[in-house]
This record gives sequence, C-alpha cells and structure tokens, in this order.
Amino acid sequence: MNPKRWQGAAASAAMVAGLVFASAPASAQNDGQIELAARVDKLAVELAMVKAELVKLQQQQAANAITAPAPAGTPPASGPPAATAAQGTGPSAEPATVLTSYGEINYNRPTRDSKNAVADVRRFVLGYQHRFDDKTKVVTELEVEHAVSSSRDPGEVEVEQAYLERQLSPGIAVRAGLFLMPVGLLNENHEPTAFYGVERNFVETAIIPSTWREGGVQFVAGFDNGLTAQAGITTGFDLGKWDATSTEGAESPLGSIHQELALAKARDLSVFGALNWRGVPGLLLGGSLFSGGATQGQTVASSRVTLWDLHARYTPGRWDLLSVYARGTISNTAAFNTPLIGSRTLIPKSFDGWYGQAAYHLWSNADYAFSPFVRWEQYNTARNYADLGAGLTPAAVRTERVITIGANFNIGSSIVLKADYQRFRENSDNNRFDLGLGWGF
Amino acid sequence: MRIELAGAVMAACAVAPTSAFAVEYLSAEQAARLMFPDADRFEAREVVLDAAQLQALATRGVSARSVRWPVTIARRGGATLGYIVTDSVVGKFELIGYAVGINLDGVVMQVEILSYRESHGGEIRLLAWRRQFAGKTAESPIRVGEDIANISGATLSCTHVTDGVRRIVAVVQAAARNGSLA
Repeated sequence: MNPKRWQGAAASAAMVAGLVFASAPASAQNDGQIELAARVDKLAVELAMVKAELVKLQQQQAANAITAPAPAGTPPASGPPAATAAQGTGPSAEPATVLTSYGEINYNRPTRDSKNAVADVRRFVLGYQHRFDDKTKVVTELEVEHAVSSSRDPGEVEVEQAYLERQLSPGIAVRAGLFLMPVGLLNENHEPTAFYGVERNFVETAIIPSTWREGGVQFVAGFDNGLTAQAGITTGFDLGKWDATSTEGAESPLGSIHQELALAKARDLSVFGALNWRGVPGLLLGGSLFSGGATQGQTVASSRVTLWDLHARYTPGRWDLLSVYARGTISNTAAFNTPLIGSRTLIPKSFDGWYGQAAYHLWSNADYAFSPFVRWEQYNTARNYADLGAGLTPAAVRTERVITIGANFNIGSSIVLKADYQRFRENSDNNRFDLGLGWGF
Repeated sequence: MRIELAGAVMAACAVAPTSAFAVEYLSAEQAARLMFPDADRFEAREVVLDAAQLQALATRGVSARSVRWPVTIARRGGATLGYIVTDSVVGKFELIGYAVGINLDGVVMQVEILSYRESHGGEIRLLAWRRQFAGKTAESPIRVGEDIANISGATLSCTHVTDGVRRIVAVVQAAARNGSLA
C-alpha cells in the first residue's frame, strides 16, 4: 500500500479516536460507555499498528530508492555482507556455475578507399565456469567470429578455452586442456574492455598470434614477493599448414600455422614459461618464452618455432603506460623454402615488433569514464629469410610503423565504446578510422 | 557483471547445488585477531542504517548495498579498539572475500583477503597492494586510478575490492556517528 494512503488511514483513525474521547462523559458508568471505551482501546491499538507499519514502509521505500542506481564499478552481483568475524564467514551465495561473455562489433573505414569500409561482429563469445568443488573448476569459451559461419560466409566457430583447473595449494594451481598462452599483455586479457583501441594491437596479433591457445598442461604458482610463474607442456605449430600462395603468412607468420587444438598434429610437443612480477602496486614487469617443434614428423627436415616477449605496464594515478616487445624465429626454413622459391610468401626466419602506449583517465562521472590514448607500433613479419642463394633469397619486408590515436569511453566496467584513427607509415592505403562497441562480463 | 544461473537453467545444466566454495586463505576470526591482536574479545553487532543515513551515503556516491551490516567490535577490557567488517564482492567472475579493520577514528588499519578463486589476479593478496588502504578514511577517494594503484591483469578484482572498502569505511563512519557502535 502507498505510504500516503497508510498515513491518511492513520490520521482518520486518530480523528475518530479523538472524537470518541471528546464525546464520552467522565462519569459514564453504563454498558454503552464501557463498550465505547473498549472500542477506543481497540482503535488505539490499530492506530499504533498502522503507525509502525507506516514507518517500516517508509524505510523500505527509502532503501530501495537509494540502492537501485549502483555507482561506478559496483559489482552488480555482489553478495550480501558476510557474517562477522565472531560469527564466521558462513556459506556464501556463490553459484557453482557462472555464465560469461564478451563481444566486439567494429566499423573500419579506410580514409583513402572508403569502398572497403566494413562493419563486423568481430567476435561474440559465450562461456561458462563451473566449480566441481572448492578446488576444481572448468573454464570454457566458445567464440563466433564474423557473425555467420557457413560454407558461404566468412565466419568461424571456435572453442577458445576449455580447461580444468585444480588448486593444489593456496599458491599453486594446475590447468589441463585448451588454455590461453601467457604471452604478452593482451593474450590472456583480450576482452574489449581490457585494451585500448578498436582493434587489438598489431604486435600482439601479427607477431604474437592472439588469441593464442594450445592444448596441454600448465602449472601456475604465485609467490608472496609478487612473482607469478607459469610453465607447461603443450601442443605447438604445424609448419605443414604454411600456404606460400596466400598472404596470410605475411600478415601473421604464427597465426597462419597455429593449430588451435583442432585435430592438432601433436608429435612434437612444446614447452613454455612465463614470469610476471607485480611486487609494486601499479607496476608489472614480465616476459615469456615458448619453443617447440613445428614439423610434427611430417617431413624429413625438422624445424622449431621459438617466440619470446618482454612486457611492462605502469599505472601511476590516472596514467596507463605499457610496452611490449616480441620476437619469433623459425629454424631451418631454407629446407622448407627451397621448393617454394618463386611463390608469393616464403617462410621467414625471424619476425618481431614492439609497441608503446600511453592512456590517460581524463574524465569520469558516475559510471562514465573517458580515456584518450596514443599508441606507436613497429612490427615486421619477415625481418629476414634464411639464405637460399644469390638472387633467390627474398628481401626482408619493410618494417611497418603505425600510430593509433583514439579514446575509450567506458560505461561501468563492462561496456566500452571506442573510436580511433590509425596511420600507417609504409602502407598508407591502410589508414583508417575505427569505431567499436564492446562488452564483457 | 556476471549472470548467476538459477532455477530452470541450473537444472538444465545439471549443475551442483549452490554452496560455499573457497580457496580460503584466512578465516574471518583469524583476520580479526590479526588486525586487533590486543583485543581480548570480539563482539558481534548488527548495524541497521536508517533512510537518512542511506540518503547521506548516496549523496556521497556510496551505495550502502544493504541496510543491515554485521560489524565486529574489537574490545579490550572496557575499551573499544576498533571495528572489523567482512564482506564479499565479485572479482571478474567469482566472489572475493575480504575484511577491513578500522580504528575508532574511522581510519583503515588493514585490509585482508580472506578468499580468492579467480584463475588470474590473485596478486591482490599481496601486502604491497593491500597496504595502500592503510590510513584511508571516509574522506579519501579510495578509487583505483586515484589513490589506489591497479594491478595489471586484475583490474576488475582491484576495482571491486576498492569499491567495497570505500563502502565499508563510509558505513562504519555513519554507524559510529549515530552511536550504533558504542
């Protein structure tokens, strides 16, 4: 009931009671007077109940009105306050299964060739995490790229993550299955709300083939000094997938030969390790190394892919500064390139790149936040080729340099609108404006 | 944000029943004794915020989230040493349990992470990160990117715990002012 109506009822009851009192003679002793007094008592009790109910309703209404609009960053599904220390934590409302998702819808418009402008559901990901018990869970993500996947459409459906994790001790966990490789800054944190710019940076797509995942076993250990160590054994690349007639290998050498645990050839296993130190608040220093056979016993000659990176991120106050350098090598490429001489894209011996980025948290109001950024990248997907002989060895490609200027506009911590301009020094036909919409939860 | 599967969806997925999961590093009792080692007893108290207090907190940009807040009062003899509030917030996907110790002046003494279950971002347990909250009051920003530095790779966990601490500090101040914690 509306509190105002309760208030009206209470006032009416009080008026009736007052009138009754006023009309009752002090000396009345007859039955009618006794009955009247009883009715007055009853009305008084009812009035008190109405008043109590009114106060309760007003408090509830006030509480509802205040808690409805949550401020910025408030976790939408926060549990209730836990019990006191004296009472113990008690059972939480933690569900065993949590649905997760993220998505990106992008618009790219080349400034010199607007007929190639495209709008695309770049990726739409659904996942879940399920806890089997207090130490064991499964983590999965299923991704659709480019909206529609069929024989006549450009889309892909991919299992991006599917691993089991078991906590061995408070500081050590083991993962098994298909997991993201702990390389660079973006690969493990690739949701659109986690990076600046409409598109992922080139270094961590062309050199590090994000979103890069392998199947295998991984150990994760955290130490009190801020060091996190990850190491494991996984599947690796398949050089047999190299297509010398396409440009895919020139765009991302490792992206063109990754296997993504799709009937992955697994004769040659790879090893990896990563160290990240976060001992000072706001600072991250880290690096990783991956190495593994890439011929999978399919050829007489063997080859090894090695990729390593160094990265740093520093977030003093409103600044967000970061840099990544990554370098990859493929061994014994001369043996594989010789039969491909004359083809469009030969296998590079090495490829590398780095970028630096500065973002500034310029403005925020309630759950809105505006952060402009600038990023400078240099990357080369074919730094050099193994010697094939005079006149036959391809020349190294020129290093592309890209500057990206733009801004992220966040709505809460789960939604982001993005806009940027990218200028390419080598291939200026790629210059473009980008718009993006992203979410993640 | 996350979606908690419930009801028919839970049944359809044949998931386990809701229960308390925890990679528990500290119990609430241990955290209380760690924060107030001189206390000889801990008294449970439930603070009930009234409409005026909720309104005042909202004006300052703090959502109290609940009208009722359990607060533990640390005492030694007849003296009150301070207050402990335990709470939980969602990190990226899962709940993070934490406790905040506050002295009689409303100053944060210590923040302890009681449980953390995410696959990434466990570094919020590091003393160097938690130490940033020491000395904060209800008048402090207590916001990531202002007076609290982020941890790369654990942005959501950092932000949500920081927001939680800001809320608790404000609630304790409001409760202390109206005598609810005497």
